[in-house]
Amino acid sequence: MSYLEYNVKTVPAGFRKVLYLNWPLVILLTAVASVGFLMLYSVAGGDISQWAEPQMKRFALGLALMFAVAMVPIWFWRNMAGLAYTISLLLLVYVEFFGVTGMGAQRWIDLGFMRLQPSELMKITLVMILAAYYDWLDVKKTSRPLWVLVPLILIMMPTFLVLNQPDLGTAILLVAGGGAMMFLAGVSLWYFAVVIAGGIGLVSAVFSSRGTDWQLLKDYQFRRIDTFLDPASDPLGAGYHITQSKIALGSGGWTGRGFMQGTQSRLNFLPEKHTDFIFTTLAEEFGFVGAVSLLSLYALIVIFCIVSAVNNRDRFGSLLTLGIGATFFLFFAVNMSMVMGLAPVVGVPLPLVSYGGSAMIVLMGAFGLAQSAHVHRPRGR
Amino acid sequence: MIRTPLRPLARILDARNRGENPDAIERENLRLRHEEMRDKARSRAEGRLLVLAVFFFCAFSVVGARMGILAGTTVEEPRASTAGNTIFAGRADIVDRRGRVLATNLSTHSLYAQPPHMIDPERAAHELVGIFPDLDVDRLIKDFTGKRKFLWIKKNLSPEQMQKVHDIGDPGLLFGPREMRLYPNGRLASHVLGGASYGVEGVSSAEVIGVAGVEKAFDTWLRDPARDGQPLRLSLDLTVQAALERVLDGGMKLTNAKGAAAVLMDADTGEIISLASLPDFDPNDRPRPLTKGDQSDSPLFNRAVQGLYELGSTFKIFAVSQAMELGLVEPDTMVDADAPMKWGRYTIKEFQGKNYGPLLSVSDVIAKSSNVGTANIALDIGGERQQDFLESLGLFEPTAIELVEGPTGKPILPANWSEIVTITTSYGHGMSASPLHLATAYASLLNGGTKVTPTLLANPDPEPGPRVVSERVSAAARKMLRRVVTDGTASLGEVEGYQVAGKTGTADKPRRDGRGYYNDKVINTFSSVFPADDPQYVLVVTLDEPSDNTGEQPRRTAGWTAVPVAAEVIRRTAPLLGLRPHVEPPLAPEITLTASR
Repeated sequence: MSYLEYNVKTVPAGFRKVLYLNWPLVILLTAVASVGFLMLYSVAGGDISQWAEPQMKRFALGLALMFAVAMVPIWFWRNMAGLAYTISLLLLVYVEFFGVTGMGAQRWIDLGFMRLQPSELMKITLVMILAAYYDWLDVKKTSRPLWVLVPLILIMMPTFLVLNQPDLGTAILLVAGGGAMMFLAGVSLWYFAVVIAGGIGLVSAVFSSRGTDWQLLKDYQFRRIDTFLDPASDPLGAGYHITQSKIALGSGGWTGRGFMQGTQSRLNFLPEKHTDFIFTTLAEEFGFVGAVSLLSLYALIVIFCIVSAVNNRDRFGSLLTLGIGATFFLFFAVNMSMVMGLAPVVGVPLPLVSYGGSAMIVLMGAFGLAQSAHVHRPRGR
Repeated sequence: MIRTPLRPLARILDARNRGENPDAIERENLRLRHEEMRDKARSRAEGRLLVLAVFFFCAFSVVGARMGILAGTTVEEPRASTAGNTIFAGRADIVDRRGRVLATNLSTHSLYAQPPHMIDPERAAHELVGIFPDLDVDRLIKDFTGKRKFLWIKKNLSPEQMQKVHDIGDPGLLFGPREMRLYPNGRLASHVLGGASYGVEGVSSAEVIGVAGVEKAFDTWLRDPARDGQPLRLSLDLTVQAALERVLDGGMKLTNAKGAAAVLMDADTGEIISLASLPDFDPNDRPRPLTKGDQSDSPLFNRAVQGLYELGSTFKIFAVSQAMELGLVEPDTMVDADAPMKWGRYTIKEFQGKNYGPLLSVSDVIAKSSNVGTANIALDIGGERQQDFLESLGLFEPTAIELVEGPTGKPILPANWSEIVTITTSYGHGMSASPLHLATAYASLLNGGTKVTPTLLANPDPEPGPRVVSERVSAAARKMLRRVVTDGTASLGEVEGYQVAGKTGTADKPRRDGRGYYNDKVINTFSSVFPADDPQYVLVVTLDEPSDNTGEQPRRTAGWTAVPVAAEVIRRTAPLLGLRPHVEPPLAPEITLTASR
């Protein structure tokens, strides 16, 4: 039972809701998306129709979706959480068998006007169901093993489906996002300590098994790890992306080469230059200053989510907003680390900037949920 | 844990006494407990949030710092490399003594596939087979649809083939630039050039390394980037080589020989003008070495350098020259040539059991090729001095020729140099050497008497070698050899205007099983120098198992096989070498005019 329902009377109604939207967040999102348009325009070599224009259309659609979602009371969304999660899970199962194969992985459902990526949807619906779960669950029971097991299952089911596609990036985001939700909901730290210790143990076991009889990974998997640790060892193979993007970042320097002046990314040295690796273009053309500015915009978005959540006394709304903020954070943190060679190359797009349909729409829908939680938060006493 | 009761009895009783509803107390307490619990959860959540915020901040800092580091560094372009070795593509050309190209590089492309990037592997496979009929469709489809991420399909594509592959339009078919070693003259001088192949191979370049011949002997030189493309200039003359190979090939076929070798050497400098061994091969498409049988039957075998043969009577001039040098004989000294000669349990006979004796002049020993006469001269010289002399001519060691195959041509010497060895060696039996050894020894002996070192590099002014015989002896030897052609065993060797001087040699081939000799398999050699009065070039022609079948019986002496071939070589190449035909002064008329009434 949400505390919220006792306070409905204090919640704005009708079109007055628009005034109560988290407008700074809207402006920040638009600013980030605009950076994306500029970059897509530049990467296409000054051609607006190739990537920038479709991206703008999609952003407009996303913005409309955000407003629509924001207008609907948050308790409706809470009641929908279970259904939404179930639908996304079914869609994941569906793509497993009937999905369109793209770039070596089965990920999409072709809806005609757009290609839906259920794994994108799952990132948000997982946050929703976990928020709803912890809202429903008696706080005292949070850390009891049985009640810890339920969210674990909720996280692991889609994770395994996504890993099977295979899409390591999304799987990592799901696990990390779900883990963050459990952490915020107040699950005992001992569980996290055990999981982290187990993880470290597993990694060290894998590495120490190398070259022995009980080797846990195949040789080529080890070579990939080697390539991640030292991309220069295979500059034309697996290390190609990283090496090239590092060159791009290095050639950008502090202030960059100037808009439309990037060579590394525009001369087709980088595949995926308009999607996962678009950050290199920004870093090359606007340098350190530009890259840090984008990073600051992202940070502001996360901060606004946190502030909104802290001021929300509704547990579901608060957890949901935090979860969406965390997911957003994970998106760009993983992408930037990957591009800068801090993390292995897993396919994670730069949120709101990378070219791509479902990710943009789903993310805007998620921010719609955060807005709804913001608008319909309990007020007064 | 002490729990506050929701309905404290005292307060309820008290309330009842005051006529209030006791349930209100319970509700109030319930609300308070709720709020307390919620506040606790809140403070806990806020703690968690703080932790997460700190984590966010750290992540931002790390990403920002990394960005700063990357922005502050200048990154070097990686070079294509494998295992840290840079591949140097770019090999110097090889040219002949006049700068004509013998080996050069050609830019081509090698085709490879990256099956994960292929759109329609089956169609691509079928179209590829249309372009390269030697590929196998099923195999290609298997490779393209299997787990392989990379495979080479075809090396060294022509521009037309490349365009056709391009037109298939599959993004999984890619080209790697290559430098290909090209021998534009085909089979010409194949044994000298050897061949090249790919060493370390990367996607975008490959290393070309020499595998045989000068390509291997000078591999480091040719690949040295410091040379800056300066070609390797050989002593070979392309046109002379072509003429010599053509004539040798014709001669080999006419005499039904299974192999042939020829060496044409500058008599003064030791430069090899041409060197041929038949059968030969195309270095552009080098055959594989034989995996079984005798390696000397492979076309890769260089008979002129690696082939060790008993060179027969061509050796006689060594004994005679040494005897003259030692002052034991003069050309007109009469020596014992009474055949057959008994030496212990051995009998030394002349060819076809003839007897040129009892006495023969030294000059006639050479002209008629008398084994017994040479044997007696050699016995006068003695084994020790004979060995020293042959060694000074370079007949005991591999030649210094700049081919990787050179050191394998190490002469086969008798284990124990007894007197019978002294006798047989004097007429070229019992020890084996290569045609190149013979050419070198003839050049040293006949050029005026200074030792030459055979070389494949153009070097017009080498250091003069040590003297092996005096000029007088050298001239006398040439004169005797000239007589071999004018009225001896090599009468077919006369080439008008070029005064060929030389010595024939016919040796029975040793049996493979090591028991004696075949009586129908011979090695025929003609070792010559021309022109006799001004020695410029030495030519050695060796035929393996020749047989001239034009007569009533097969003729297997050098005079019928190797000599006419050599004469034809000289006839063709002497003008190419810039020699002018020179008319010999006619011999003094022998007719005595007497005045008659």
